[in-house]
Formats: sequence, structure tokens, C-alpha cells
Amino acid sequence: MKIKYLYILAIAAALLLAACGKKDSDLQKSASDKLAADNVSGVTVAVKDGNATLTGEVADITVKTKAEASVKSVEGIKGVTNQLTLKPLAPAPTPMGDDKMMEGTINENLKKANVTGVTATVTNGEVTLTGEVPKADLAKAMQAASSANPKKVNNQLKTK
Amino acid sequence: MTNEELQTKYQSLLDLANQNGWQYNLSGGDDGVLHVDVNVPDENAKQQVWDKYNEIDPGMAGGDLVLNANVTGSEAAGGGANTYVVEHGDNLSKIGEKYGLSWQQIFEANKDIISDPDMIHPGQELKIPTA
Repeated sequence: MKIKYLYILAIAAALLLAACGKKDSDLQKSASDKLAADNVSGVTVAVKDGNATLTGEVADITVKTKAEASVKSVEGIKGVTNQLTLKPLAPAPTPMGDDKMMEGTINENLKKANVTGVTATVTNGEVTLTGEVPKADLAKAMQAASSANPKKVNNQLKTK
Repeated sequence: MTNEELQTKYQSLLDLANQNGWQYNLSGGDDGVLHVDVNVPDENAKQQVWDKYNEIDPGMAGGDLVLNANVTGSEAAGGGANTYVVEHGDNLSKIGEKYGLSWQQIFEANKDIISDPDMIHPGQELKIPTA
């Protein structure tokens, strides 16, 4: 009778262990290894009850997304809480010269790109593009404006 | 939008660059305008970058991205130094006016190729000095 009781207890204990799955510390190691293998740096992983939490500062959104996908793919990880923050960006480049200078630069860029029908007006470092262009020229007009380092491009071009 | 919201909006553009190994640099962001400078190997790649922008923001009228796709190893298509190509009927004052500069400033910057400020020729490429 006593032996039978112990036997049942042993089976129950074995079942319980199997249900627990991998230990958090093992999962944490696997997740960190996976991040290193995927060339993701600057991320700290903590695992509790199979759920991973990511903390740290990363270069940009693509790293944040990649880190989450990497850890999710680790067997045994049930969920990922992504608390990664993005590194603050440097200020935008200083506009080239004053407004009039930028206007001249953009007009010449437009000419070099063979784009006609566009008027570029620069105010306080912000460009506004007006006029009408063939659809294929829209990107060229935008590129002509943005290569003069404006603070902003207000595109009001109509396409035909 | 914040820096992170902007990066999220334009993530597929950055993914495109990453997938192709095109280096990019992000700046600004917190003033509501994200600046993306991406170095591409050729005109085809440049086109792909612009197509992606147009796919994310059809018409590219959102005013929240300043995209600059530079074809590396080429000075063509308006990249590199600030220059002006002389057209028929131009004179130095007229060119200067386009940039808010005097004819003397244009002349000074191009003394190596202009000997007489009254004699410039269509097709000549003049350097535009920064004011």
C-alpha cells in the first residue's frame, strides 16, 4: 500500500516537471545567444515564466523589430515585451545657405534633372513645390529639393 | 509624430536599405520631419528607394520625410558640389540673382575659368559660392 502511494507520487512529480518546460535561466541564455547570432547588440533580455522582456537603447526601429523577432523565435519563449527605446537622432543637417541660395540650388537641380513645370519656394529653410509634372518626374522633383538639405519639403505638385 | 512613430511609418524603406546593404543615416525626427540619407549604388536602386517612399505615402505629400538618395561614386544628377550650367542668354548678374549673390561673387569663385566677366558661354559649369 505504501509503496503504491510513493509510486503515484513519483509519476505526478515527473509530470509536473515536464509541464514546466525549460527553466527561465536557460531561456534567457538561449535568447541572448540568438540575439548575438543575429548581430543585435545593446539589448538586455530578462525571462520570467517563459516571458521575455527586452530593455536597452538601439540605433533605430529596424533593430527594435529585429530583436523582438529574434527572441520570439527561441523555442520555449511564450511572449515578448518590447521595451527597447530608440537612440535619439542627431539634428537634421543645416540647410545650404539662406533661402534664396537654396531656391537657386533647387532650380538648378531641377534643370539638371530635366524637370520642368515646378516652382520651388523656400521660406525659413522649408521648400514648397508647386506646379504640375508627369508622374515619372515627381520623385526627381522631390530629390532636387531634398538634396539642398531643406528642413522640410511641402510637396504640392499635381501629377498629370 | 515623434521620432519613433516616423521611423515606424517609414520602416519598410529602412528595411529595403538593410536588405540591400545600402548604408543610411537618420537625423531630425523629433521636430516632426525625419531625414533619411541613403547611399545607393546606382540609378535603379535610387528609383527603388523613391518608389518605396511613394508606396508608403502615395503622392509623397505628407511633408514628414526628407529623403535624399545619393548615388555613390557618381557626381551626376545634381549631387556633390553646388554648380550652375550656363544657358544661352545668361550673364553673371542674372545667375547671381538666382542665388541671392552679386555678379562679383560668382566671378570671384570662377576666376580659374572666366577671364572676362562679360564673356561666359552656354554649357560652362560655374561654381556657386556659399553666401
